[in-house]
Amino acid sequence: MTQELPIGVLFSTVGPYASLGREGFLGASLAIAEINASGTLPVRLSAVVRDPKGNTEAYAGLCRSMVEDGGARFIVGCTTSWSRKEVIPVLEKTGSQLWYPCPYEGFEGNDHVVYVGACPNQHVVPLLDYVLERFGANPMLVGSNYIWGWETNRIAREYVEARGGRVQGERFVALGDTDIGRIIEEVRLKRPDFVLNTLIGPSSAAFVEAYWELGQEERAFDPRHRPIISCNWTETEIAALGERAHGHLTIAPYFQSLDTPANARFLATVRRLAPGANHPSAFFAQAYAAVQMIARGVAATGSGDVGRVLEAAKSDTYEAPFGALGIHAETNHAILAPHIARAGDKGGFEVVATTATPIVPDPYLARSANSAERRGPAASVAAGGERGLPYLRVIK
Amino acid sequence: MSRQTYLPSKPTPSFTGQRALILHRPHATVDAIIRQLTQLGMAGECFWPDLPRDLDAGLYHAIFFDADLGYDAQFSWGAGECPMPAIALVGSEAPGRVAWAIRRGTDAHLNKPVGGGGIYAALLIAHQAFARRQELRQAVGELEQRLAQRELVAAATAALMQAESLSAASAYRRLRRLAMDERLTIEGMAARLAGSQPTGELRHDSA
Repeated sequence: MTQELPIGVLFSTVGPYASLGREGFLGASLAIAEINASGTLPVRLSAVVRDPKGNTEAYAGLCRSMVEDGGARFIVGCTTSWSRKEVIPVLEKTGSQLWYPCPYEGFEGNDHVVYVGACPNQHVVPLLDYVLERFGANPMLVGSNYIWGWETNRIAREYVEARGGRVQGERFVALGDTDIGRIIEEVRLKRPDFVLNTLIGPSSAAFVEAYWELGQEERAFDPRHRPIISCNWTETEIAALGERAHGHLTIAPYFQSLDTPANARFLATVRRLAPGANHPSAFFAQAYAAVQMIARGVAATGSGDVGRVLEAAKSDTYEAPFGALGIHAETNHAILAPHIARAGDKGGFEVVATTATPIVPDPYLARSANSAERRGPAASVAAGGERGLPYLRVIK
Repeated sequence: MSRQTYLPSKPTPSFTGQRALILHRPHATVDAIIRQLTQLGMAGECFWPDLPRDLDAGLYHAIFFDADLGYDAQFSWGAGECPMPAIALVGSEAPGRVAWAIRRGTDAHLNKPVGGGGIYAALLIAHQAFARRQELRQAVGELEQRLAQRELVAAATAALMQAESLSAASAYRRLRRLAMDERLTIEGMAARLAGSQPTGELRHDSA
């Protein structure tokens, strides 16, 4: 018997982080369309869509309306951590469940949230491992002025200093601000080994463009020797920047360029059912995977009960477009195998290193301490690789 | 089986008539705090982003401040110098944010979202912690002052040794006796001797 299931889709498709929100919206919508069209699962989903338009204060009310008016118990959505924090009281009051599909700064583990994106031991820590050996240990940290930038930079500072490096400077920019001339001047003067960029949206694009111009004036700022690194770039942003992003590095569980049969099938589905999504990113693929896992859990349990579906998800292994996806029972976070990729000269990313075995999420960095010796169990059991980074397999 | 009857040694703590500052953007959490404060007979006043520059901190008995979006320039006092019990409103448990709240000086915390309870216990804990902090600060201040006056004591002892041909131990005992007679601390007596005899020669009415 086919189950009818309303599913909440809560993303901001306009506003300061609209490019990321649109990715989530399109990814979730694609999964809903595909599940309904294919009929492979005995579930029929109906999207209950709300758009907070980047206004943090609107999230809680819209989330409540999805549950109370739209009948949704499962919600896929939120991009920023503040918006996630805003909906949590509503989830707790209404007994609903958020599937959060973005990387974030960690230090949370709510029973009503399933964290499908990467937490720090799955993004900034492995990316720093890769970069510190190749470019040096004296970075500059630049971020958007909110919790993602503050905390990711804080973790990076601690990690860099534990490895004997020194942060050359740390600057924050208001969300949406594109006036970054002063920061570029500081970069020019301080010549950091690399720049960790936790800026989002237009601020990030403005920074990459200005850095490119700096590189045109001074060869010292060629990304081959002195790259910008980010844990939150998408294919769409990089495509828009084109050659100006060439050579910079990022990390994510999914890249459009992943050369796997699962991704080939996924991209074929994207072309067929979401022709507007030209550059699917990790934000897109994770929202897609979240809907798939919910539907699989509903099908497996024959129930729309959030607790039972979560339990089913925790024992499920879903072949996501980015590989096997499991939910860690203790933390409700995804077990992920991130890849490190370099921006190509025509937009898009090419993978340069990949995780040998999936990394168990450690949202409070309780096990993966900020030293290479005391990294998490998932990392230390992995073998192979080079230069004392056994868990990173270098491809290029 | 006997059971001890609970007899409070102090009257039930009350905050009636007190005022609290709430440094948080207008939000359901602020409404919840004000509702609870009202039940306690208190008044809450919400400010965001900054406290008024001409704020009379003496009129307020507690402050609730946002640990998530807070920053130093919001306050009219320095870090660790909050003139009233402070309660951090914690949403993000990211250690950077918690560290900031600690640096500001927090006596208790409440997790956001704030619902129908928690304020009374947080106020009790914060007042207790604040009082202890004040006591310690005062004690440390007094000790620091005494430490700073060590030289005076040494000088007074040396002067007594010379003036009255005493051993160091006897001179110190003499200084302590003088201080006790005058109901002064040793440091106070030493300061008086030094002040009254800037040339170093000591004269006093001894018994």
